[in-house]
Amino acid sequence: MNKPEFYQRLAEILDAEEVKPENVLKDFEGWDSLAVLSVLAMADAKYGVSIKAEEIRAINTAEELANLIASKQK
Amino acid sequence: MKHIFRNKKISAAVTVVPKEERRFDDEYPGYKLTEEKAKKFKKMMGVDRHRIAAPDVTASDLCLFGTRWLLNQGLLKKEEIGAVLFVSQTPDYFIPPTSNVLQGALGLSHDVIALDINQGCTGFLVGLLQAFLMLEIPSMRKILLLNGDTCSKQMSRFNRINYPLTGDAGSATIIERCEEDNPIFCLMNMDGTRHQALMIPAGAYRQPSTPETLVPREVEEGVVRSLQHMQMDGPAIFNFTMEDIPKQIEAALNFSGDSRESIEYFLLHQPNEFILKQMTAKMKIEPAKLPSNIVGIYGNTSSVTVPQNMAHNFGVELEQKSHRVLMSAFGTGLSWATMVMNLGPLAACKIMDYEPA
Repeated sequence: MNKPEFYQRLAEILDAEEVKPENVLKDFEGWDSLAVLSVLAMADAKYGVSIKAEEIRAINTAEELANLIASKQK
Repeated sequence: MKHIFRNKKISAAVTVVPKEERRFDDEYPGYKLTEEKAKKFKKMMGVDRHRIAAPDVTASDLCLFGTRWLLNQGLLKKEEIGAVLFVSQTPDYFIPPTSNVLQGALGLSHDVIALDINQGCTGFLVGLLQAFLMLEIPSMRKILLLNGDTCSKQMSRFNRINYPLTGDAGSATIIERCEEDNPIFCLMNMDGTRHQALMIPAGAYRQPSTPETLVPREVEEGVVRSLQHMQMDGPAIFNFTMEDIPKQIEAALNFSGDSRESIEYFLLHQPNEFILKQMTAKMKIEPAKLPSNIVGIYGNTSSVTVPQNMAHNFGVELEQKSHRVLMSAFGTGLSWATMVMNLGPLAACKIMDYEPA
């Protein structure tokens, strides 16, 4: 996984200037249920992985999300 | 379930929608959405306008209107009807079944079987399954399949995610025997362990209605609902549509010996444009063959979306001649079903506005 590209995609979903690995997703104003759906869609379409509802609920930071997707790609 | 039905066909299907059209651009200030967020939502989900039934109009009224039209046009005779199937989650009453009310309103004979089927978005295909099975009874000449829902009445008006996507409609479909073999390839699956993914938790008998269950609560910004409103586990439903449905569609194509090329129209249930576009891309289906426009024009009308999709996008073509189609619908239960068949020429395949009697 190309991490900078991932954070850029995440920033687009969240309507944020930039997303840093340590950023907590819930702190973004754009982190709502539509953003969650967009993340699931991105994971499926761009990385070929499926994230379960309970997995996404347990995620805190942008880096945790990146790691979850990367770990599923193997 | 996997089965090939033979010597049966759909011969007509009409959809009835309420006249009142509401536009998202007029409604979004009510959700306390900023213009920017509203625009993003509109673009992502493909919402624009939807049809909403008046307070005194029920799903059965819409279905009855369509049935009377079929009778008046001479496309159906009362004495041909062997059974009335009413597929809905918005019945007229808890007791009696709405299909019995409809049988009475239509003045049908006492030999006619009335049956309510409690199904949501998969309901057109579940209704077809029941109709095909009933046609095994020789005295049944035609089955009247009525799909109707006024989902706008189960949805919180202050749910910014689900309310704009919802619409009301009813349809009347005739199913009968035919001389030709006309194989209909049917796959149907259910998973009750995921029944909480789409549900109204209170108001029936597991959790009866109390003043407490009617209290609206804000569960996330802009999503206000009570326990007697529809609620959806978005991520669970997304995964369901991206995993279970493509798998079943692929299996159905293998079962019928079809390819993405041999199918002319992919008539999928219409939850929203976002999910349909994701599914289309994932399944590598040509977008022109798989319409995703119903939600933006009428709203998601639960089990009516399949006949509505047929009429809105291919009504003229289906009235003229036979086409190779794949129907697929999925929703609460969870339940999902796919059928591959030759459809048409239909005696009628149109959408009409409801006029109060």
